[in-house]
Amino acid sequence: MLKFEKRENIPLHLRILIPLISILLGVLIGGIAVMFSQVNPLTVYKAIFIGAFGSTYVFSETIVVAIPLLLISVGLILVFKMNYWNIGAYGQYIMGAIFCTYFALNSAETMSRPILLMMMCIAGMVGGALWALIPAALKAYWKVNEVITTLLLNYIALYILKFLMYGPWRNPRSFGFPLTKIFDLNAQLPKLISHTRIHLGLIFGIIAAIIIWIIIKKTKFGYEIRVIGENEIAARYAGINIAKNIILAMIISGGLAGLAGMAQISGIIHMLQIEINPDYGYTAIIVAWLSGLNALTAMIVSFFLGGLFAGASQIQITMKVPIGIVGLIESSILFFLLGGAILTNYKLYYKGRKII
Amino acid sequence: MGAIVLQVKNISKHFPGVLANDHINFDLRKGEIHTLLGENGAGKTTLMNILDGIYYPDEGEIYLNGKKVDIRSPFEATKNGIGMIHQHFMLVDTLTVLENVVLGLESQGFYLNKKKIAERIKEISQNYNLNINPYAKIWQLSVGEQQRVEIIKTLFRGAKILIMDEPTAVLTPQEADTLFKILRRMIKEDKSIIFISHKLDEVMKISDRITVLRKGKLVGTVDKKEIKQKELAKMMVGREVLFRLDRNPIRRKGEVLKIEDLETHNDKGIIILRGINFSLPGGEIFGLAGVSGNGQTELAEVIVGLRRAIAGKVYIKGEEVTNLCPKAITKEGTNYIPPDRLKVGLVPNLSTVENAILRRYDREPISRGIFLNYEEAAKYTRELIKQFNIMVPRENAPVKFLSGGNLQKLILAREIREEPALLIAVHPSRGLDVGATEFVRKKLLEERDQGVAILLISEDLEELLMISDRIGVIYEGKIVGMVDIDDANINEIGLMMAGVHKNPLLKGEENVKV
Ligand SMILES: Nc1ncnc2c1ncn2[C@@H]1O[C@H](COP(=O)(O)OP(=O)(O)OP(=O)(O)O)[C@@H](O)[C@H]1O
Ligand SMILES: [Mg+2]
Repeated sequence: MLKFEKRENIPLHLRILIPLISILLGVLIGGIAVMFSQVNPLTVYKAIFIGAFGSTYVFSETIVVAIPLLLISVGLILVFKMNYWNIGAYGQYIMGAIFCTYFALNSAETMSRPILLMMMCIAGMVGGALWALIPAALKAYWKVNEVITTLLLNYIALYILKFLMYGPWRNPRSFGFPLTKIFDLNAQLPKLISHTRIHLGLIFGIIAAIIIWIIIKKTKFGYEIRVIGENEIAARYAGINIAKNIILAMIISGGLAGLAGMAQISGIIHMLQIEINPDYGYTAIIVAWLSGLNALTAMIVSFFLGGLFAGASQIQITMKVPIGIVGLIESSILFFLLGGAILTNYKLYYKGRKII
Repeated sequence: MGAIVLQVKNISKHFPGVLANDHINFDLRKGEIHTLLGENGAGKTTLMNILDGIYYPDEGEIYLNGKKVDIRSPFEATKNGIGMIHQHFMLVDTLTVLENVVLGLESQGFYLNKKKIAERIKEISQNYNLNINPYAKIWQLSVGEQQRVEIIKTLFRGAKILIMDEPTAVLTPQEADTLFKILRRMIKEDKSIIFISHKLDEVMKISDRITVLRKGKLVGTVDKKEIKQKELAKMMVGREVLFRLDRNPIRRKGEVLKIEDLETHNDKGIIILRGINFSLPGGEIFGLAGVSGNGQTELAEVIVGLRRAIAGKVYIKGEEVTNLCPKAITKEGTNYIPPDRLKVGLVPNLSTVENAILRRYDREPISRGIFLNYEEAAKYTRELIKQFNIMVPRENAPVKFLSGGNLQKLILAREIREEPALLIAVHPSRGLDVGATEFVRKKLLEERDQGVAILLISEDLEELLMISDRIGVIYEGKIVGMVDIDDANINEIGLMMAGVHKNPLLKGEENVKV
C-alpha cells in the first residue's frame, strides 16, 4: 500500500521543505525528552540556537566544527558514490594528525612557516592516504570487505596515537600528561579572522568541496566511479579498471581525512594529545548522506551540523543539563533528517495516491 | 465468445517528454487471448502497468464487468482479479516456489500453513499442467519454469485476467509451445489473457483478437481470422516489412577468432564448457544454436574476458587473449552484445548519454584530458539515436525509463558503432519489434560484408537460418554439430539441440573447414 518510487530529479521546494520539516519533528521529539528532565525545552532550544548562531564568537565556533566535517565528508562522498563504504575516516584523521606532528616537532626551527605548513599539510594527507590505502588494496586485490577493515584500522590508529603519547612523543615537561609540547607559531595554521578560532582549514574545505564536485560531475574518473557504483558488472564489461579506481578514490578520501586531522591540531589544538576529536570521522558519514552525496550541498550540511554541535556543547556549559540530554536532542534531529532524506530521493505513494 | 470483462476507455498517460498512451480504448472478453502489438516504445508496457496499478493514468476509465474501478496499486489489481507477469521476473532466487507464492500475500497471518499452501500449488500446477514442485528453490529452475511459477503466483491469488508482457522473449521455441498449451488451458477455464509479443507468427497462432498501438495511439483492434501476418506488420510499423533478407555471397578473410579446447565453470561452479573448438574468419556470421543453459552465454563471456577459462585457449587475430581483462580484449577489436541488457550492458540509473558513451568516454573527442566533454557526448548520442532510430524522450533522464526494445537498440548501436573486427551478439533481436529486428539483421549482414567476424548466439532458429553462413549446435558444453548454411536442415538442427543426433562431420574436428 505504501510504495516508494525513485525520483528522477528533486524539486527545489522539496529540497528545502523536507529537511526543514524533519528538523522540526526532531526538535519536537527531542523537546518531549527534555521535558522529562524537568527543563523547559523552549529555553534549551533557545540556548542551543544562541549557542550556535547568537554571537560572532559562537558563530565562529560553529564554523570551527564545520571545517573538519566538510573536509572529511567530501572525501567520503567520492568513495560512497562508488559503493565503497569507508568508515575509517576516524583512523585516517588520526594518522594525518600524527604524520604532520612529526614535522611540527622536528622541523619548526629549520623551516620557514609557509614551507613547514606545506610540509605538514602534505604529511597529513600522506598519513591519511596511507591508512586508507591498506583497506583499499585489500578490497581491490583480495575483495576483503572494507567495512570491517576500515573500522578495525580505526582502533589501531587510536592505539598508535596512545603509544606515541605515552611513549616517545610525550613532552617531558607535561607533568606526566600525554601531550606534546605546544607547537611553535611556525607550525600553527594562520587564523583567517582575528579573535576567532577560524583558521586556514576553512579555505581547504571549500576548495576540496569544489574539486570533489568537479571530479564527480565533469571528469572521466568521476564517470568511472559512478558507473562502478551503479553497476559493477557493467563497469567490468566496459573495461573500467575497478581496482585502480578504488585505490585512487580511497587515497583522495583518506588524504582529505588526514588533512582534516592536520588542520585540527595545527589550527585549533596546537599540539598532539589523545583527545583530538576523531569522532568527526563518524559524524562526517552523516554529513555525506544528508547532503545526498553532493559535495556542494555538503558545505551547507556541515555548517548546520557544526551549529548543532557547537550549540549543544554550549548548553552543556551554560544550562547544566545532563550530557545525555544533549546527545538525545542531537540524535533525534539527526534521526529525522536521515529519515526525511528518503523522501527527497523517493516519491511516496499511499494506495496509489502520490503523497509527496 | 464471452462477455466483455475488462474495458479501458480513453486512457492517457504522459511521462516527461512523451505521451506514452494517448486516449486508448481497449476491451477484453471472457475466455479470449487478446494480443497487444506495437513497435518498441509504442506504449504497451505502460498500458499494462496501468491495469496492474503500477502507474495511475492521467485520464480515462477502467471498467471491470461493466463496473468502473479505480486501480491504484498492484495490490488492488490483485483484489480485482488482475495479475501481471512482467518481463523481468519478480522472484526471490534463494526462496522456494512456495515461499515466493505466499510472499506479499496479506491474509496469511503469522503462521504459515505450508502443507495447505503446497496442496493448493500442486492442485493449480496439475490443473494447468504447469509441472512445478512447490519446494524447489527458484535458482534451480529454468527460465521457462520460473515463468510458470509467476503464473502460479497470479492464479493462487485468484486472477481471472492474466497479463503477460513479452513472455516468449526469453523462452526457447519448445518452452513457448508449452506456454501456449497452458494459456489455451486457461482460457478454457474462462480466464482472459492479454498477451504481448513481437513475434508475429506466434501472435497469429495464439491470439483471438489483436490490438495494435503505434506511438502511443490506438491503430485498431482486429479479429485474428480476418487478417494476415503481412497486414499486421504493416499496421504496426506503417510500411511493408521484409521477412526475407538478400544476402551477398560470402567473402571470407583471414581467421579472426579461434577457440581451442575451451573449458569453464558457470556461476554455480559447475563445468559448463567441456572443450569447445571452432574458428571464425572475418566476413562470416557463425550462428551458434542451442537450448539455453548449454554454455553459450558462458562461452561469450569467456571470449570477452568477463569469465575465466579453466582450460583451453582463445585467439583473436592470431594473438592469444585467454583470460585477459575485458579492456585488453576490447582493444583487440571485440565488441559484445550481452544477453542481459540491464544487468550487464547498461547502467540503469545513469542517463542515456552516459550509457551511450560507455565504450568511448576514454577517447577523443569525448575525452578531453582528464575531463569528459559532455557536449561531444550528447552529440555522439544523438548520432546513435538517429542512426538506429532509438526512441529517447529525454537523453539526460535515467536510461531505465526507456522501453525494453529501445534499451536493446541502444546497446546494439553502441557496440556496432565501434566498428569491431569481432562482434559477439547474444540474442541481438530479443524484444525488438519486427521493423527493428529487420534493421538489426540487415545491419549484421552489412557488418559481415565489411569483413567483420560475427558470432551470433541465439535460440531463435529462424533468425540463425536467415543470416548465418554456418551454424554450429552447442549441447552440454560441446559443439555437437556444424553445418554450412546451404546444407542446414531445420529438423536436424532441432534434434541436435535436443542432444539426440550427432553430426558425423564432427568426428574429426579439423575436418570442419572454415
Ligand atoms: N517510468 C517512466 N518514466 C519515463 N518515461 C517512461 C517510463 N516508462 C515508460 N516511459 C516511456 O514511455 C514510452 C512507452 O514505453 P513502453 O515501455 O510502454 O513501450 P513498449 O510499447 O512496452 O515498448 P517495448 O516493445 O520496447 O517494450 C517510451 O518512450 C518510454 O521511454
Ligand atoms: Mg515493453
